[in-house]
Amino acid sequence: MSGSMELFYVVCFPFAASFLCYLAGRRHKIVRDRILQLAVTLEMGLMIFASVSYFRTGDLEFFLEGFCMQGMYLKLDGFRLLYGSVAAFMWMMTGMFSREYFGHYRNRNRYYFFYLLTLGATMGVFLSGDLYTTFLFFEVMSLTSYVWVVHDEKKAAMRAGEIYLAIAVIGGLVMLMGLFLLYDAAGTLRMSELHGAVNAVLSQKMIQIYIAGGCLLFGFGAKAGMFPLHVWLPKAHPVAPAPASALLSGILTKTGVFGVLVTSAEIFRYDAAWGKLILGLGVITMFGGAFLAVFSVDLKRTLACSSMSQIGFILVGVGMLELLGEENALAVRGTILHMVNHSLIKLILFMAAGVVYQNLHALNLNEIQGFGKRKPLLRGIFLVGALSIGGIPGFSGYVSKTLLHESIVEYAQELSALGEPSFWIRGIEWVFLLTGGMTLAYMTKLFASVFLEEHPTRQKEYDERTAYMSGESTFALLIPALLLGVMGVFPYLTMNPAADLAQGFLHGEPPAHSVHYFSFGNLKGALISVTIGALVYFGLIRRFLMGNAEKGELRYKDLWPKWLDLEEKLYRPVIQRGAAAAAGFVCGLTDRLFVVQALLKGSFAAAAFLSRCCDYLLDSLLVLLRRTTHRSRTERHVYLIGTWFSRALGMVLDYFIKNVLNRTIRRKNPIERSFVVTFAEWEEVFRRTNRLISVSLSFGLMLAAIGLCLTLVYLLWW
Amino acid sequence: MSSVYLILPVVLPIVGGALTPLLHLSEKKRNLYLETLVLVTSALALLCVLRRPEEGVTMFHLTGNLDFALRLDGLGSMFTCLIATLWPLATLYAFEYMRHEKRTTSFFAFYTMTYGVTLGIAMAKNLVTMYLFYELLTLVSVYLVMHPMTRKALRASRVYLYYSIGGAAFAFFALVFVVIFGSTTDFIPGGVLDVGMIGGNTQMILVAYLLAFWGFGVKAAVFPFQGWLPRASVAPTPVTALLHAVAVVKSGAFAVMRLTYYCFNVEVLRGTWVHAAVMAIAMLSILYGSTMAVKETHFKRRLAFSTISNLSYILLGVSMMSPLGFLAGMSHMVFHAFMKIGSFFCAGAMLHQSGKKYIDELNGLAKKMPFVCFTFVIFALSLIGIPLFAGFISKWNIASAAMDTGSSYPFAYLAVGVLLYSALMTAVYMLTVAVRLWFPDQGYDRASNEGITDPNWEMKLPLGIFAAVVLFFGLCSEPLMQILRVIAAGGL
Repeated sequence: MSGSMELFYVVCFPFAASFLCYLAGRRHKIVRDRILQLAVTLEMGLMIFASVSYFRTGDLEFFLEGFCMQGMYLKLDGFRLLYGSVAAFMWMMTGMFSREYFGHYRNRNRYYFFYLLTLGATMGVFLSGDLYTTFLFFEVMSLTSYVWVVHDEKKAAMRAGEIYLAIAVIGGLVMLMGLFLLYDAAGTLRMSELHGAVNAVLSQKMIQIYIAGGCLLFGFGAKAGMFPLHVWLPKAHPVAPAPASALLSGILTKTGVFGVLVTSAEIFRYDAAWGKLILGLGVITMFGGAFLAVFSVDLKRTLACSSMSQIGFILVGVGMLELLGEENALAVRGTILHMVNHSLIKLILFMAAGVVYQNLHALNLNEIQGFGKRKPLLRGIFLVGALSIGGIPGFSGYVSKTLLHESIVEYAQELSALGEPSFWIRGIEWVFLLTGGMTLAYMTKLFASVFLEEHPTRQKEYDERTAYMSGESTFALLIPALLLGVMGVFPYLTMNPAADLAQGFLHGEPPAHSVHYFSFGNLKGALISVTIGALVYFGLIRRFLMGNAEKGELRYKDLWPKWLDLEEKLYRPVIQRGAAAAAGFVCGLTDRLFVVQALLKGSFAAAAFLSRCCDYLLDSLLVLLRRTTHRSRTERHVYLIGTWFSRALGMVLDYFIKNVLNRTIRRKNPIERSFVVTFAEWEEVFRRTNRLISVSLSFGLMLAAIGLCLTLVYLLWW
Repeated sequence: MSSVYLILPVVLPIVGGALTPLLHLSEKKRNLYLETLVLVTSALALLCVLRRPEEGVTMFHLTGNLDFALRLDGLGSMFTCLIATLWPLATLYAFEYMRHEKRTTSFFAFYTMTYGVTLGIAMAKNLVTMYLFYELLTLVSVYLVMHPMTRKALRASRVYLYYSIGGAAFAFFALVFVVIFGSTTDFIPGGVLDVGMIGGNTQMILVAYLLAFWGFGVKAAVFPFQGWLPRASVAPTPVTALLHAVAVVKSGAFAVMRLTYYCFNVEVLRGTWVHAAVMAIAMLSILYGSTMAVKETHFKRRLAFSTISNLSYILLGVSMMSPLGFLAGMSHMVFHAFMKIGSFFCAGAMLHQSGKKYIDELNGLAKKMPFVCFTFVIFALSLIGIPLFAGFISKWNIASAAMDTGSSYPFAYLAVGVLLYSALMTAVYMLTVAVRLWFPDQGYDRASNEGITDPNWEMKLPLGIFAAVVLFFGLCSEPLMQILRVIAAGGL
């Protein structure tokens, strides 16, 4: 155990607190709630404490030897500080918010327990200094957050939980595979040493390192919600309780992004091929998410799809920072700031959705329509989030999107200057702007439905709900909203320093010239997006996705084809039926018709046959002998009884009786029996008696002898 | 400590166990007697390990240079410790589990005798002694499989007998070869084969090794001789848990370790076709076991299939033929013992309390049996190889050993893939159970769970201890690893 204990406390405290909270919850609910809030606040305090040390002394490190074999290595640099703080902040806010939201939930103890466990694990991921530590905490986080997803225990939640768990486990295993390959090739997993180690062996072990990178990208990308592993995201985020959704969307996806960042910045630094891969996946994710969101009619699902799309934006930034090589300051700063923005925005939006849900227990736009119409506070908060994410100038999202956009433009110019074809990057720029427009469109859709339109039947009931959230919840919503507002209005004071602080992590240099966020060139991009957004909203959403049911009521239509679902159509069937059945079939086959059984049976049969043969051999020998040398005699056999003496005596007597007595005295009554038998019997009786006598005599003699011996012994020795 | 004391822990349970039916004790007194016996034996065994006599003790002389002798070395101590820790706890569990069964006295007599025999395997000084104890183990434990005396149990015990005796016959070849070509039959780190004497007979030696690997591997349920293990899960849970997850099957793996690292020279085997063959056998068993476990719906049988795959993890580590691989094999041997006996005890506790044997009946049981189900989740996560639990450590060891061997012998790279596939399958077959327990589908059969509770302390205590051990080794495995590393390097 060496280094700064602050980091250890930051990671371990939530684990300890989770048990405390659980135990307290078994006795007293209110105490438990307070302990929870205290714990998350303390965690924020610990993070601030660590930050203070960081500003005083520079990078902090902590190493715990032997923890899970390879040891736990934590590190605090600018980026980790930024993201650690964001994580702690988000937990603090959702912790405040949870008390009211979960007021009528069951199994709260379980939820809070896993809520704090996940906090510790997430902190561990963000503070990890080697990929091994990242992996440890990443796995723990994936599993503990599963409990959030299935918290409702409803059918939809269970199904979403299934796919969440599957992706988490598969992603974790593939990542582990990647780590093995990487460790084997580079010999280290320390992030700070990886670049040098990989470069040293890159020429010989190119393929292995790229496979390792692919595995890592798979694992981290799955958590980030990257296409084509995004399937779990639009399902799992909406079914979780709102504070959990906010964390899942806002911060857990970022752990995946964190991994992708490490992979990109340390293993494949300035690698154009890698950059193009990430860029391509990012563009698809970005556009796909926005597209799904436009069609969605569920508040939280829309937000979840939006998360996916924003992750796409971030991945585009990652791709650009690879492609731009050493002059990647714009992309680096854009990526980092967009991560922070997205976390905070999703925090607000999901908690706002939570407020809606805790009042109405519904999330379908047609049911919650008009809920916020006369609730200015909620409306204002939601609006900040919506405008931010839409990239409207004056809000924080605008700054990061501008930076990302600028980086694309810069690369396009670079390509033109080099005389290489740049049409594809122009295409990507347009997709980027289009997606920005779509973002605006779906956020408008949400905002309009919840806060501007009226519910056809229940508007009055909705308007009467004035006490729709508690003071605590208001606080939890208001603080991040204010923060976002400040960040948007004063980007030079807030966001630039944050980017300066964190960019070292991605090896970004400070930009050659400071970016004027509100210059005309940059505002133009936003303008294009706004225009596209308006077109999409009015041209597509209002025209085709909304209809007047009757009497001028506006209803939202769910036109998204149900069958178009990668999970249902591809992943589930392939994994569940295909793979399982095939593997099971093969193994089952080996089980039943297995060679050994066949062999065993065969050898038994053979052995039986041989021994039968041997058997018959002996038998036939015997038969042969009986037929030949040992043939049974045909003449009658005379059995002899008695000895020669009794036989002779008996025969003489018999003869005498037969010929003399039977003819003379016993003529009337002849004696029929044979005296040979009688004599033989007498003889036998005589012999037996004789034996008895002799035996008893000898026995008596023996006893007498023993007696004599004993007497002798007595006489001799006593 | 005098080496004569080594005889005690082996003989005491065998004699004490055999005497049990003659004593005609009441159930309570009998249990007390047996638990004392087992505890004393364990204490003696651990004492022997702690104050280990350098020399062995020859019990009697068979013929030629064949002795029946006991000696404790590093590997043996490891196995002895493992057995000595688990047995008293398993016996405690068995008392409660067997309370309502018939013929318990004879059951416990054999159960206790098995302890002595297993310790004999652990403490054997040479191949002959180990071979004899190995045969004895078959004979003693066959009654335990037979114990329910149902048709199925009788069949299973017959199958077990055939496989084991057959396997021992295979192993006998190796014994002969070691006697002929070895300088001695004693276990010496690095092997005893006299390289000068082998001469042109290398191929014959390799064949003998392969046969012996299979022969001793039968007890470790190695492919294709795995058939007896799932069948034997008809036996009472204490037997399936302790014998078919630890004692008997680990004896098989232990014997293979002895064979590979203490009899045959690893240098002779490494890089030959037989090296690839044993690795392939281990991988096939892993694939087979983990896939079949997914397919199986009988809870205990599923765990039995899981055992097949996990034992082959050990053998896969061993088959790397390197100190790293040996270390990996030993670490998985230790950790798997705790996780698997724990999972079996959980399954047994559920069966005992609720009578439910099939996985699809277990919905929502966690609400009634929180303790058992909680520990089960720990064992399940550990078996999958989730970090912070012991299983992760040993799997990491195996995989890094495979990577290490792979650099000179690329076939070993395949092992990493196999491990990951198996981990995925493990996740499927363990987590589906855990999810069923804790998060049942809505509208599950609530009525069938009425009145079920956690079992009493005799069952809970072992479970709690095992779970704690799994967690402890997951977080802090380094001290143990250091010891094992020394053993693997031929020290101790």
